[in-house]
This record gives sequence, structure tokens and C-alpha cells, in this order.
Amino acid sequence: MKKIITFIFLTMFIFSFAKTTLVFWTAPNPNQEAFWKKLVAEYEKQNPNIDIEWTTIPAAGSSEEAILSAIASGRTPDICTNIFSGFAAQLIELDQLVELNKLQGFNELISTRKMNNIIDGWQFMGKTYVLPIYSNPILIWWRKDILNEYGWDTPPRTYSEIYELSKQFVVPKEKYTMRVVAGRNWWDRWFDYITYYYAASEGKPYIDLKKFKAVYNNEAGIEVAKFFETMFKNGWTAVDLGNAPLYNGVILASLKGPWEIPYAENQFPEILKNIEITPPIVPDNYPKDKPIYTFADSKGLVIFKSSKHQKEAWEFVKWVFSNPENDKLWLEMTKMPPARSDLLENELFKEFFDKNPLAAEYAKYVGYAIPPALITKTVDVQDEMTFSLIEPIMYGKKDAETAVKDSIKKINRIIW
Amino acid sequence: MVNKMRKREARKGLLTSSTYLIYAAIFWGYPFVWLVILAFSRWRYVGTPQFAGFRNFLRIIYDPIFWKSFFNVLNFLMYYIPIVLIFSLLFALALSKLKYGKTFVALSFLVANISSGVAYSIMFSKLFAENGPLNQLTYKLFNTTIPWFTSPQLAMFSISLIVVWKFIGYYGLILYSGLISIPQNIYEAAELDGANKYVKFFKITLPLLNPSIIMVLVFAISLSFGIFTEPYMITGGGPMRSTLMPMMVMYTSAFQKLDPTYSSTMSIFIAFFSFGLIWITRKLFEREVELV
Repeated sequence: MKKIITFIFLTMFIFSFAKTTLVFWTAPNPNQEAFWKKLVAEYEKQNPNIDIEWTTIPAAGSSEEAILSAIASGRTPDICTNIFSGFAAQLIELDQLVELNKLQGFNELISTRKMNNIIDGWQFMGKTYVLPIYSNPILIWWRKDILNEYGWDTPPRTYSEIYELSKQFVVPKEKYTMRVVAGRNWWDRWFDYITYYYAASEGKPYIDLKKFKAVYNNEAGIEVAKFFETMFKNGWTAVDLGNAPLYNGVILASLKGPWEIPYAENQFPEILKNIEITPPIVPDNYPKDKPIYTFADSKGLVIFKSSKHQKEAWEFVKWVFSNPENDKLWLEMTKMPPARSDLLENELFKEFFDKNPLAAEYAKYVGYAIPPALITKTVDVQDEMTFSLIEPIMYGKKDAETAVKDSIKKINRIIW
Repeated sequence: MVNKMRKREARKGLLTSSTYLIYAAIFWGYPFVWLVILAFSRWRYVGTPQFAGFRNFLRIIYDPIFWKSFFNVLNFLMYYIPIVLIFSLLFALALSKLKYGKTFVALSFLVANISSGVAYSIMFSKLFAENGPLNQLTYKLFNTTIPWFTSPQLAMFSISLIVVWKFIGYYGLILYSGLISIPQNIYEAAELDGANKYVKFFKITLPLLNPSIIMVLVFAISLSFGIFTEPYMITGGGPMRSTLMPMMVMYTSAFQKLDPTYSSTMSIFIAFFSFGLIWITRKLFEREVELV
């Protein structure tokens, strides 16, 4: 009897260790959480030897901060999502990430998920450490209903048209044409100057990664700065526009990502019916026949080098992203375009886009959405951009051209 | 025999204080030693810190952002100290005159002190917003709005007003306890000598309140160097870095720029400056007060 009990205990003991546990962190976002919850449960069901300890990235000021604390304290997860390219570059510099392109089946996964073009923007010195999950083009939301009242059947396309509309619509201290500056956090530059710069320059980089120099002191960069200057000088936009200004009719337009769609569906369903989405506005001389580029708020997934189960982690990643049904589910739950180039051609997504015309607008621009510069000093650079370029223009301290030149000088000192 | 008793007493004493000593060693001593090690190292969360000598200290000397944040503290103090002192003193005086409901009034003011910094920062940012209720009122009454948080000149003043609101109750109670400990017979003697209420206030109350006022000053100075939540939540350090505080620079450096060693060095500088300012304040204003 004693022997049998010992045998049972021993077997249980061995089996309890046979199960591989993967620690998996995802973005703290209700829609994304619902997606991962479903997929993790399904994978565990299909792979009883794998236990995925799935949680959202622990509460902290930012995902980056939580991940850094985890690295410092030796609690790094095996897999983590919500990694933007600049932070990935920092982690690569710290030698924390697994080189994904060396893993078995990487090339197959990239071609199955139609990421061949997209993955280029994520390469760091020719190697891939991040698997892009989604690519959110930043586009302009317009209040079509109010535009119509002022005689505009289609939203303005160029800076001059914006000025014309502003003269019609703006009432000082009450109504403004659009939100031009997104805020003063370093990441806000992605959603104002950098987006407009990509649009005005046909997607040219703002940092030359070969020479490590800021290069937006060209015609496009100055045009964008002049547009900001004109809007602030004339009071056609303001620093602080209050709560939900687009929905409250305080402004007519604002740059937004596709994550705004589920939010607006819940909070402002009636106003959402009157929203029209267009690419960012461009300088007057921008050719009409050329596509307009924009910024891609894109996040990816990484596997940490500290993981003892890199192979199992990669198997899970492959399982998730090699099945287009999962991308369809992602689209339905988050409304954010998965990082794949066949969104509009693939029949699988057709029904979704037919039912969700606003999300379809975003899908159209995935191919024209460019991620941020892959530099390790993103925070310093964009903080300096705020201080030396955006704020002096906002507060009328410098003219646009001087602000561009001064900021270039300071940023070059940081990155060179 | 006496020696044995002394030893036993010493053992008891050590045993009693050991809890605190262990606590202090873990939560104060260890972080402090780690802080000093980091200040002289190069380390980015991974691996072993590498000795870097005075590199981090030299970096601070040439770092305009750090110095901007340092001078912002002085700017904040210029607004904060006089306003908070005057209002706390008025609160303490009013409280001492109250006949009923003292506890209720005191607690009502203390609520501000224990409220969540994040919560009231959001509340004030809405209240003082460009088209918030306050500005709507000024626009209706005077056809103008006040750029509370959007003007580089006004933003620090607005932040200091919020911090004043938070600390009036707390500092007020410190001053109140100083007020009620002043013996009444001093006032009675002064009245017999024909002193009016202004003379009594400036010649008796204020000098005898010196220890409480110094205490408030010490608290206010140390708070100013450590302020974080309000500017971080409301202005993000702007406009034009006018509300950027040292704690925010340290936080960004440690957690966003992956440079915790530089942050540690900054924290040593800031501790040094804050202690220095407290020392100067005490040297200049502290007086020996004897309440008989």
C-alpha cells in the first residue's frame, strides 16, 4: 500500500513538472484582452502540456516601465505584446530579445501572414526581433454633418482649404477647425507633426538612420510647421480644446487611430454615423494622383531571451499568427488592422469590412502607414521636438522655419 | 550585580529596538547603499553595474534640463511658500476662534490632504481648462479667459494653487497647535499695557509661532523638491518645460530613457539642495522660543 501511494505521489509530482508554463503579457485594453483570453484558452485546450499564464502588462505608468521593472527584478515574461519599435530598439540594445528570424518556420509565417513588405520596417540592423501584430494608420475624422452645414460636400484636402474652412467656422474661444497638436507627451508627436510630415513628404523618414541625423528640415517639414503656425496664430486651433471636442462639435476634425471606433460606438453612436475618414491633409502643391502616406501606430510581439521555453513560446506565436481566422477575430474585436498586406483582397475579411466601413478606411492605408524611426532615443528626440519645435510655434515664440532649424540642431546633438 | 542589571537592560533595549533597526536596514539602509552605488555606476537594468566614477555627476553639471527643473522648484517655492503660509495661518486663526464644530472643520480641510493626487489633478485640470467652468465664467463676466495651464508664465502659479489647496488643512493644524500653546496670560498682560490686536499679532503671536512656522517651512521646502503628481498629470512638465520638476526628470530618465544611474545621481543632488535650503531657512529664521 505504501509503495502504491508513493508511486501515485511520484507520478503526480513528475506530471506537475511536465507541464510547460509560458508567461504571456498583453496590452491592458479591454478589446485586446477579450481576444487573447479566447485564444489562450483555445491553445491550452489543444495543447494540454502547455499552461499559459496570461495577464495584461502590470499596472504602471506605461508598458515600458512595467517591462523594465520586470527585467530589473528578473520577472520578465516569456512573450510580451504592445512593444513599439523605439522601445524594441532599446531592448535589442540591452540584448533582451530573441532574434525571431533565426527561429524555425519564421519565413513561412511571414509569407503566410502576408507580412513580407511590412516586416522590412521592423528590421534592426537586418535582423527581426519584433513580430508586428497590428498597424494602425493615423487618419483624420471629420464631422460630415457640420461640414455639410457650411457647404462642404467633401472634407478639405489641403492646408489652404483648411484655412478657408476656418474663416467660415471658427468662433474665438468657442469653436475651432481642428485639433492640430495632440498634447505635450513625447508620444504625442507621432499623432501630430510626424503624421503630417509623412503625409507632406510622401512618407520620407524624419531621421536618417544611416547618418543618424534628423532630416525634416526640408520643404515638407517646413510646410507642416508653417501650417501649425498659421493655425495657432489665427486662433483656428487651440492648445486645450476641452473634453471630446470632436463629438461635442467644438472642432470639425482630428487625427485618430482605429481604436477610436469601438470607443465612439459605445460613447457617441449617433455622432459616429456622421463621421467621415480621410488621410491627413497635405500642402497645396501635393499631387492629387499620388497616395497620401501617414504614420503607423504599430505594436508588435517579442520573446524575451530570458525565457526558458523559447521554443514553446515560438510555437504559440506561430499558432496564433499563421491562422488568418485569428486575424479576423482580432479585427472584429479590436477594429485595428492586423499587420498584413492582404486585408482588402482577402475574402476572409470582406464581410467585416463591408459591415465596418470606417475600419475599411483604415485597412486601405495600412500599406501607406509608416512606423516611427527605429532609434533607441525616441523619448529624447520627441521630447526635444515638443520643446524646440511644437511649443515655440504654439506659443508664438519662434517662426516655423527657425523652430524647425533649431529643433534639428538639438535633435542631432542627441542622436549623433 | 549592577553590571548584570545594566547588561540585561541593554539586551532588552536592543531587543525592543531591533524591529526598527531591521526595518530601517531593509527599507532605508539597503536602498540608500544601492542609490550611492548606482550614482557612481553605469547600469541599464541588466547585468552588473559598471563603475563610472564621477561621470554621472559631471553630466548633471552640463544638463540644461536638470537645471531648468531645479529653477522651476525655486519658482514654485516663490509662489507656494507665501500663499500657503498666509492661508494656513488664516485657517489656524479662524479655527482657534471657532466655538463649535472645530473637529468637523479641521477634518473637512484635511480631506484635501488625503485625497488621491491623481484624482484631484484630473478634477483641477477640467476645472481650469481653457473652456472649463472657471474660464466660461470669466468669459461671461469679463469677456476674457485665463490660460491657467497653457501659459508658460501662469502654469506654475496654477500648479502651486492646487498644492496650496491640498496642504492648507495640514499646515493649518500645525500652526493651530502652535497657536493654542501660546499662554493666554501673555495676551492679557499685553492688553493691560494697552496693546491693540495688530500689536498682539505681530509682537506676540507671530514670534511665538516661530517653531510651528519653521516646521511648515521645512515641510513645504522638502515637498517642493519632491513634487510630481500634479505637474505630471496636469501639464506634463509644459508649457515650455515651465512646470518640469526634478522628480519628473528623474522618472523619465530612469523608466523611459533606461538610465537609472543618472536618475540616482540627480536624486542625490536634489536631496543635497533641499537639505541645504532647509538648513539656510532654519539659520535665517529659526528663533529660540520659550513658552512659560
